[in-house]
Amino acid sequence: MDAYDEVSNGRRGPDEPEGSASTSPAEEREGRADGDDSAAATPQPAPPPQPAQSTRPASGIAALSLPYQITVALVLAVVAVVTCVHVGMVFLHVAPSNTVTKQHGRAVEEWVFPEFEQNWKLFAPNPLQQNIAVEVRAEVHTAAGDVRMTGWYGLSALDGAAIDGNLMPSHTQQNELRRAWDFYNSTHDSENRATTSRGGLSERYLRRIVVLRLDREQAGGADGVIERIQVRSRTTNVRPPDWSEEQVSDKPVVRELPWWSVTDRDRTKASAE
Amino acid sequence: MSSMSPLTPMNPGNQGNPVGPLGRLSAAIGSGITQVTDNALGPYQSAIIRIGFAATWLLFLLREFPHRHELYGPDGPWNWDLAQQLLVDNDAFTVLIWSKSDVWFEIVYALAMLSSFLLLLGWRTRTASVLFMVGVLSLQNRSVFMGDGGDNVIHLMAIYLVLTRCGQVWSLDARRARRTRERAEREGKEREDRVGPALWCVLGFVLLVATFGGLIPGGFLGGWLTVFWGLWAVHALWWAVKRISSDIKPRVLLDIVANLTHNAALVVIMAEACLIYAAAGWYKIQGTRWQDGTAAYYPLHLDYFSPWSALSDLMTSSGTMVMLVTYGTVIVQVAFPFTLFNRRVKNVLLAVMMTEHAVIAVVLGLPFFSLAMIAADAVFLPTPFLKRLGDWVTRARVRVLGRVLPGRDRTPPGPNDQQRTPLPVDNAEGKTTEQAHVGFTA
Repeated sequence: MDAYDEVSNGRRGPDEPEGSASTSPAEEREGRADGDDSAAATPQPAPPPQPAQSTRPASGIAALSLPYQITVALVLAVVAVVTCVHVGMVFLHVAPSNTVTKQHGRAVEEWVFPEFEQNWKLFAPNPLQQNIAVEVRAEVHTAAGDVRMTGWYGLSALDGAAIDGNLMPSHTQQNELRRAWDFYNSTHDSENRATTSRGGLSERYLRRIVVLRLDREQAGGADGVIERIQVRSRTTNVRPPDWSEEQVSDKPVVRELPWWSVTDRDRTKASAE
Repeated sequence: MSSMSPLTPMNPGNQGNPVGPLGRLSAAIGSGITQVTDNALGPYQSAIIRIGFAATWLLFLLREFPHRHELYGPDGPWNWDLAQQLLVDNDAFTVLIWSKSDVWFEIVYALAMLSSFLLLLGWRTRTASVLFMVGVLSLQNRSVFMGDGGDNVIHLMAIYLVLTRCGQVWSLDARRARRTRERAEREGKEREDRVGPALWCVLGFVLLVATFGGLIPGGFLGGWLTVFWGLWAVHALWWAVKRISSDIKPRVLLDIVANLTHNAALVVIMAEACLIYAAAGWYKIQGTRWQDGTAAYYPLHLDYFSPWSALSDLMTSSGTMVMLVTYGTVIVQVAFPFTLFNRRVKNVLLAVMMTEHAVIAVVLGLPFFSLAMIAADAVFLPTPFLKRLGDWVTRARVRVLGRVLPGRDRTPPGPNDQQRTPLPVDNAEGKTTEQAHVGFTA
């Protein structure tokens, strides 16, 4: 592989993988034209590549006449421009708000959304330092006409228990409720008024998750129907590490939402049955 | 291999008389252009990411199979009506919005699994990659609030993979091409491919129905409609051009365009990976927890990301260790894009990052996110390593097959068997082993 090292260091640009550096262009040309691994992978000791004898005559840009070469040049230009624009747009989308995005934010958004949207602030700027537990209770009406109130169900705690000792936590355990609560919070103010047009969607989503989970826990009992629900969140600081001298309050902050009447639109088929 | 390097016409311009820096510059540009037009670079790298992302998505779909209705079904918590209201707003592409029926959902989920499997194997890679993308986009866009960073990576890469020639090696396509060529050499004529045109017709019919049903957004100049019909037309073009025997130029042109697209997509994939690390790293620097060296402690103590709390406690029992991991993470993430200029340093960092992701998979309970990130990292793996990996896998497969089917060893080695056990003794001579010789000696 010594040859490889010499060659690749000399030739490889920063953006290229070391990929094809070890094989000669002649071999690669032949191999790739067939979509085949063998030729591309094999430095045949002998005989040396003889394009003229190959079943496929010399390929590559050198084999083309001028009109074709002009076409190639045009394609090359288009591909290069599109690549640069795309990488640039994605960069601006990922970068913090800046002079360029303030002026051309719409163009960036139109290019990037919906399929190239991305967010890589993974545990950044600061990791979350609070456990946010979503809890819920329900008002159950029985066939006999009784009304009773359930205790608080710790839905996040149930998620946590399902994740404990789990090598492959499901998105339903790790993301569903957690992200639904984030979604609700980001679309509502502290008075529970929707702040964006998606507020309604997030509330409906949260209701449906809650009803589904309560039914799974059989909160209604044998003959009861869940008529109203109430959601609250308990936010607790993560206890600072033992080796740290930091002090944080260990008192949870509770946020209680108003009671919601459950409608048919909040019930999944599974929960309606 | 060293015997090959003198043959390598690295700088076609050198054959002229490059005088001074300008001459050298134009020679370099010339050789660069030849490189990117005549080669689909990084065949092993593009193959490993194809396999990586397809496998990650397939494993994810299998793992979530019992929960598929809750995640993406028409009557999940994020039900069809909610999804539709959001999709009207954001214009994301998903075939799941075509129908509210359970049957349609099951079909799409099954096809998503099938297409990832086919892409993994490299069966009709060009078509499989499109179906894979449709599957990924359809499920993820249907329920955006179910996903996390891992889904995001797969989403982007599924789109980029469509534009790469990712089936050049380690694929059924490559094997089929080799066999076709061998047969052609033996029998003197190529056998007609029936599966390709059939697949093309079926998918064309589906596309036609979807188009006239008004299901695909976009017009004939932009949008998904253009993308799908365009890809479909390109396949027809290839088929037609391959039949022209009098003139090879159209075919060479198509090949060059495909190479350019592949190389550009590969650059985008690598840039995307760098952007992920750069963004993750630079944003961390601004956080006080990453500055005071305690950040790594916190995710490990969130209820949602601590499946093994005893392990989390153990890993964070030393403040110095936590600080080293915290600083190390930021340094590696910020530094990575710059290390691409130095092969050795890059490889070291790559190993560190892959290891860190493997650890994250377990201790933070994020196996699919980690797998997706490792697959993305794999685009930077060096070719010799990937070839060795390929040999090792081949050898392991042969050994397993030999154990499971001992009868195979006794059959006289025909040309086909040689393909199955392509392990010449090159290794004994201290050379790299490559599958390919065998085919050519036949």
